[in-house]
Amino acid sequence: MTSTAPTRHTVVPTEAPALLLDGITKTYRSKAGAVEALRGVTYHFVRGSFTAVMGASGSGKSTLLQCAAGLDQPTTGHVMLGGTSLHGLTEVALTKLRREQMGFVFQAYNLLPSLTVYDNVALPLRLTGRKPRREDVHRVLDQVGLEGKAKRRPAELSGGQQQRVAIARALITQPAVFFADEPTGALDSSTSRQVLSLLREATDRAGQTVVMVTHDPVAAAYAERVLFLSDGLVAGSLDHGNPAQIAAAMSDLER
Amino acid sequence: MFFLSRQTVHRNRSLYAGSFVALALGVFLLGLAATATAATVAYHGPAADTVVVKLPNADPPTTARVVLSGEDASGLQVVLSMVGVISGFITIFVIASTFAFAVASRRREVGLLRLIGATPRQIKRMVLGEALVVALAASITGAILAQLATPLVLAKASYSELAPVKLEPANPWVPLAIAVTAGLVVAMLGARSAARRAGRIGAVDALREAALEPPRIGPVRVVFGVLVLAGSIVLLALIRPGTGEAIFPLAMFTPMLLVVALTLLAPLVVPLIGRLWAIPLVAWTSVSGRLARSNVVAAPRRSASLAAPILGISAIAGSMVLTLSFAADASTATIRETVLAPIVVTAADDSPDLRERILSTPGVAVADGAIPLSLIRTDRDTADLEDAEGIDPAITTRTRTITPLTGDLGKLTGKTVAISKEVAGFGNYHVGDKIAVTFADRTSDQLEVVAIVKDALDVNPSLFVPTELARQHAPAATPTRWFILPAEGVDAAALTKTLDERLAGTGADAVPAEEWEQAQSEGMRKANQLGLILLLGPAALYSAIAIANILLMGSLQRRHEFVTARLLGATPAQIRRMVLWESSLVGAVALSLGTAITLTVGLLIRHAMTVGLTDVPITVPWVTLLSIGTICLLLAIGAALLPTAVILRHTRPSAALQS
Ligand SMILES: Nc1ncnc2c1ncn2[C@@H]1O[C@H](COP(=O)(O)OP(=O)(O)O)[C@@H](O)[C@H]1O
Ligand SMILES: [Mg+2]
Repeated sequence: MTSTAPTRHTVVPTEAPALLLDGITKTYRSKAGAVEALRGVTYHFVRGSFTAVMGASGSGKSTLLQCAAGLDQPTTGHVMLGGTSLHGLTEVALTKLRREQMGFVFQAYNLLPSLTVYDNVALPLRLTGRKPRREDVHRVLDQVGLEGKAKRRPAELSGGQQQRVAIARALITQPAVFFADEPTGALDSSTSRQVLSLLREATDRAGQTVVMVTHDPVAAAYAERVLFLSDGLVAGSLDHGNPAQIAAAMSDLER
Repeated sequence: MFFLSRQTVHRNRSLYAGSFVALALGVFLLGLAATATAATVAYHGPAADTVVVKLPNADPPTTARVVLSGEDASGLQVVLSMVGVISGFITIFVIASTFAFAVASRRREVGLLRLIGATPRQIKRMVLGEALVVALAASITGAILAQLATPLVLAKASYSELAPVKLEPANPWVPLAIAVTAGLVVAMLGARSAARRAGRIGAVDALREAALEPPRIGPVRVVFGVLVLAGSIVLLALIRPGTGEAIFPLAMFTPMLLVVALTLLAPLVVPLIGRLWAIPLVAWTSVSGRLARSNVVAAPRRSASLAAPILGISAIAGSMVLTLSFAADASTATIRETVLAPIVVTAADDSPDLRERILSTPGVAVADGAIPLSLIRTDRDTADLEDAEGIDPAITTRTRTITPLTGDLGKLTGKTVAISKEVAGFGNYHVGDKIAVTFADRTSDQLEVVAIVKDALDVNPSLFVPTELARQHAPAATPTRWFILPAEGVDAAALTKTLDERLAGTGADAVPAEEWEQAQSEGMRKANQLGLILLLGPAALYSAIAIANILLMGSLQRRHEFVTARLLGATPAQIRRMVLWESSLVGAVALSLGTAITLTVGLLIRHAMTVGLTDVPITVPWVTLLSIGTICLLLAIGAALLPTAVILRHTRPSAALQS
């Protein structure tokens, strides 16, 4: 795995990174004992980049994403989002940062089942106290290919459509960083392609930063860089890999 | 956030319907108690029967109206205030646990809102906003129902033992406003703690697969729980010999406080006892018992909410039933100890030559026929109607136990009075003090206290006056009961028979003392039963609905879980069994705590009331107590099982895939 030699310094950031992780560790404590999910991750995500995070199940991918997004506190280390340190922020400040700067897409579509598609998408704006403009909502719905579905409820949509609603909801606030955890985990390959293209577009067109956890090499190939995680540590990375190369790197890692 | 509140009502309609029903019924009960109380306050007795007593020493000097026949609505008023207290308590209790439950069931939804940018404050506002809408609708509905039901209840209450008069509905606005306000305040208090808890739900909760609550319980809750527990232990310590009449309010409030303490500590206590009860369950069943145990133990807060109404009503009803039964036992022993004569003659009101007939019967040594009368005892600022008897102490002390604690009954002649210890306590009277009284003939006088005697209120009145004084002020009164002592060597049974024959046609009866004592105790138990039905009836009905309500809510919320389990290969029967064991487990835990409270309070009360008495019977109302437990358990199981069965019948496993 030649390309996995420390590549952290190969991409020299031209400006402040969109997201910076500095020495993140995370230990879960429970009655059953302590689990070291992350054991010291330092990495910066360049503005406008699309990074895939891969690793075996239990290697700490989700934990990394949750710490990076300020959903959970790292045990040590700190996270900077666009120049703001998340350390020591109050819950309210974190929430505001989250709704203004971050968008989320998860494997479970996480839509509110009682709201229509339109209301689900408009919800983040309403939460900030802004009245959503109709044309904005319809624009993002068009963008994800859901024109004409605004009045439906999530239960009346297919899985891929629900996931696109979730992406539209993340798009509406024009966040700086997208966090996606296995966004295609529950989708078939053609709907997966649509969803991944949408994320790709976000970086290409709007210069948004995407961090996506996945275990699917095909999905990872949409990113310009793949970051490999193993036992809570960064085990290497691969730039502009095709699915076959990524799969090979993965199986190398698991060996 | 109001936009969201409106939208989520539909989704969570079973939760809202549950909270609505619980609160509307609570306000209905409170409203009814309030309008009925207003009717009793508005009632004024007939003028002919009313004595106006001057209270010149009160500050400022005033007058008091006393209805001589005792026929007023004050008995009903006392009962209504107690009904109000019990219903109010149960309502607060049920509402708080219902709202807590509603929030606990929506953990994921709240987590999701937090994830996409709702601040804790916005979440709190959302929960409070929803609660306000539900509370307003429910309180007004409850008040309207109460107003509609008031004439019915007053018609039932009129001419009853508690209010032997005709009651008319009074102006409803004030009582109903009180009930609606109480409902709103109760709901918002319940919602406030639920909202605070909702505000603490984190964004990650949307991502964690299971909607499991954190196992830790808040330190504030523990501190409050321990404080309330300490408070109830203080009250328990007060239940001891010598507490006197205050023992009954204690018997009512102590269980309430214990219930609150145990509910606060429930997230600690419920899993513990749940585990204990689950041991046989897990041994007997295969997978369903094990699943039920995990569900109860792993979600202590949820289980605590489900257990709360069962714990509340079983502890309060159980304690009152047991306390009253033990009180009747103590009375029975007191009656037995007080009556020395072996024969009792009970007379109708008018049998003028009874005295002659009894005294002329051969074999009668002593006949104690006291003259019953009512008089008004006036204190500095109160005037109370008291029962009294005109007696000849030389006779009466031979047929009944009248133990002077201080003073000398021999001095009971002229303008004097002997008082029970209870009355002495009320007025802080001592031997030699003068008591101002007003007789039925509306003359007033000052009577000197010559003795304070031991309470034996089931047989003896509060005051004894000399026979002549009684005759003078109540010339028409005749004895209604005679305690008869046979002469030396005369067989009591034979004398009873002779007396009965001689009294034939007068409406009077001679019976052995044991038989009379028996009848007295039975009468007392019957009266207790009526009191229990009045006091506990509404609260029990309400609790029954609340128990069914919260378990119904619980099962309806679990549609997704059941369907997923079906998808994984669980048969409907397996799921039903799991729900059956789960609700039984929650019921068993709640009932064990309720039993512990009942036993503690009951035994302490029994000890307090029977000290100094010998030969006290033990009557445990098993049927009533077991019925309370069984009904609670059946309701809980039924209300959990029924919706489960319906859900299982109407959904296919594939529904789990549609999120
Ligand atoms: N809330 C939690 N409590 C305890 N342990 C956890 C928790 N979340 C994750 N873990 C543990 O941390 C490790 C990493 O988990 P995760 O980040 O979810 O892995 P991945 O997403 O790569 O599969 C695993 O061993 C997992 O069991
Ligand atoms: Mg994961």
